[in-house]
Amino acid sequence: MTRDVINEIRGTKTVPGVCMICPWHCPTENFVKNGRVEYVRGNEYAVNATSRCVKGISSIHSSRDSDRLLYPMKRNSQGVHERISWDDALTQIAARLKANKDAFGPESLVYLWHLDSNETFTHKLFGELYGTPNLSGHGAACDQDRRLAALETFAHPLPVKDYANSRFVMLWGADPFGPNEALHENRELLESMKKGCRLVVVDPNRSRTAEKAHLWLPIKPGTDGALALAMAYHIIETKSYDQAFCDEWVHGFSEFAEHVLSNEYTPKWAETITGISRETIIAVADEFALTKPALMDGLKGLVNYTTGLDALRTVFALNVITGNIDGPGNLILKELAPLDMPVDIPEEAITATEQLPLGSAMGYPLAPDMPTQLLPEAVLEGNPYPVKSLFFHICNPAQSDPNTRLFEKMMAAVDLSVTIDIYMSETAQLSEFVLPEASTYERAEVRESLWAGPQVVFAQPAIEPLGESKPLYEIMKGLAEKMGYGEYFQWNSWEDWARKQTAFLPVTYEELKEKGVWEGELRYHKFKTDGGLATPSGKFEIYSNLFEEMGYSPLPGFSEEHRIKPDAEYPFQLINCKMQYHCGTHTQNNPYLMSIVSENWVELNTNDARRLGIADGDRVEVSSPQASATISAKVSEAVQPGVARVPHGHGFGRRFGTLARGKGTHINPLFETRMNPVSGGISFNECTVNIRKI
Amino acid sequence: MSQYGFYFDKEKCIGCRACEVACQVWNNAVQTVKWRNVSCLTRGTYPEVTGVNASLACMHCAEAPCKKACPRQAISKEEDSGGVTVDQSRCVGCMLCLWACPFGAPQMGVKGRMEKCTFCEERPVGKIKRACEEICPQQAIVSGRIEDLVLRSKQVVAERLSYDKQAEVILGHEEK
Repeated sequence: MTRDVINEIRGTKTVPGVCMICPWHCPTENFVKNGRVEYVRGNEYAVNATSRCVKGISSIHSSRDSDRLLYPMKRNSQGVHERISWDDALTQIAARLKANKDAFGPESLVYLWHLDSNETFTHKLFGELYGTPNLSGHGAACDQDRRLAALETFAHPLPVKDYANSRFVMLWGADPFGPNEALHENRELLESMKKGCRLVVVDPNRSRTAEKAHLWLPIKPGTDGALALAMAYHIIETKSYDQAFCDEWVHGFSEFAEHVLSNEYTPKWAETITGISRETIIAVADEFALTKPALMDGLKGLVNYTTGLDALRTVFALNVITGNIDGPGNLILKELAPLDMPVDIPEEAITATEQLPLGSAMGYPLAPDMPTQLLPEAVLEGNPYPVKSLFFHICNPAQSDPNTRLFEKMMAAVDLSVTIDIYMSETAQLSEFVLPEASTYERAEVRESLWAGPQVVFAQPAIEPLGESKPLYEIMKGLAEKMGYGEYFQWNSWEDWARKQTAFLPVTYEELKEKGVWEGELRYHKFKTDGGLATPSGKFEIYSNLFEEMGYSPLPGFSEEHRIKPDAEYPFQLINCKMQYHCGTHTQNNPYLMSIVSENWVELNTNDARRLGIADGDRVEVSSPQASATISAKVSEAVQPGVARVPHGHGFGRRFGTLARGKGTHINPLFETRMNPVSGGISFNECTVNIRKI
Repeated sequence: MSQYGFYFDKEKCIGCRACEVACQVWNNAVQTVKWRNVSCLTRGTYPEVTGVNASLACMHCAEAPCKKACPRQAISKEEDSGGVTVDQSRCVGCMLCLWACPFGAPQMGVKGRMEKCTFCEERPVGKIKRACEEICPQQAIVSGRIEDLVLRSKQVVAERLSYDKQAEVILGHEEK
């Protein structure tokens, strides 16, 4: 293996790791000498091979960054964070948690995280032992609608893509070549295109992915659902769906067909809504239906609107009715590896949860993750029940959620707030306790990857934790001891629980440790051999009885009832995006990335900019009915007229880092609290703004 | 003497700049000095916009203009790899090499001496990829002997045409 060549040249040792910059978690190799990470790259044994994205390779800086959180801190009465010992911090937090549980019940604790597999320790401690039902990812700010649509249609939360075998790919509001997504998927898509696979991209902005596409459909923001329904109409009208597959494997096909035809979701109807000509809609629908294998998928660009859930349900339905599902070249219902829990809690010690999770109790029973926009109401008004303790782990809602002022008000009012992070994030700055976590270079993690087949990534500590920082499993162990649950978190080294977790894998522990990844067989059409799907009907459900029972529409339609559209006072639709070179808080103090781009901007079409007298680089004021912000303008031909596009996750008066300080503009105060009425996903882009030169 | 070089596939490059950073990390270069640089160019007006990305480093030219321009003979051509290298001890930082280079490859380092791509001189050719090549998520960069790269580029074009619906027109020598 070429890792040996590097070790020979540099006198290093290879320690397998995992990238934690974005949610795709690519397997990595870290090259270490004398307690320092000298070089990083992708894991040669994994599908992404030695490659990393720009954020991944740059993240080597977080193994050295002296601006990281290095010791626990507590806010004093003047509102200033002061250093305290781990023992004091954990003792005080444990006592406050106990008091809050005694007075208000275990459900008064809410713990939010961001896709960290070590969260299984948190689930054991806070979920099973302490007994709160309120442990949740931050999905409401991310892929909430896609996840709910996938759960409803496939009973699978995260379908992935088998581009390697595709002949036709259509991506809606997704930009895998831009901000992020799995590296192996990107490479496979471009390889497939070299072999004649066609790519169609639906996006109001000419994204990095649209740049590579054969056809770019610059759709009017938030109208993707109408385009998808019109494609369905044409496919049903011309009978180019897969009749045999629908008969055998689709629940509710005739209802769906009847619904689409009787509502007259015609290409002509969609043309005026979407701005895409009926001829184009028909041509794309024909090509999609007649080219096999094909796949279509959508992401944030759809989820960001109140119309996103139905749009994704229709996109998934299109895959299903054409028989393009879980086969080569399709969306894949990823199979998981047989991983065990790192620790077990005996049944008699588990606290039965009495209260419903917050989301369900507040009218969002189907929300996959907690609709975090509801949190302020729960904290400030005690509705539906009191919430007294808030934990944030590697997530930063002060920066990532809308309506920042309301969030700040909530943080000031809550009894106990704890942030666990590697940087003094904006949420950490608003928290009473701040606990420093070891970065991905300094801790172990056993996790499932996002490859289409089962794949386990086994990341190991490459260096000692910086300062007094600790891995999450050690923080949870310490807290468990103080809370009287110490007996359930017994290990001498992380290897003890890692061995237990990987015991069922068909690979020796030593081989797994050496390679850092294990890949199983990628099986196709598993529903055919494994006795159907986990949906109530066992089939693909494009008609949902569950939705119907809950009082929601069983079929996806198109309604602009909750849309916020530009008007004379606020003539621009504000759409938010991620930057190709940054990903949230953790890249903002990175010298490699900051030297590429250090600030965000508002991107405007050349014609709009000219009309407003704005030149590239001018400072402008962007105002919504909610708030206003000052930011630099980027004048571009890539974005649709009438649209103002801003990368989020920048700014906010950062105090944590030498490089991050004072850079960028925080745009989220402009967003009002708006949610999809079914999923509780945050509809960021339901926001209109006015722009003027200053 | 062998001549090594880089093959670059603009159809695959997504402009992510991972190659720039991999080069800096492997070679312990400071973050502001880029031995490899990615340019992203766009043309046209909405919605008819096209874009192209290019990742460029030193081309290790057969007849290197920088070598000719250097008044201190600090730049030499390596016998075994054909790599163009700068002798830091001879360089006085006059930047004539940068002016002479058609690709803008030589970069002023923080110590006031010129720096540039060394073709990852520590990495034995044939045993391991260059850092930029190894990191590239799209495999848009390939290093190797020039003869092999020329052959490769012909194969890549032929493969693309073989899958292209319009290929017959092009292969039939129809006038464009």
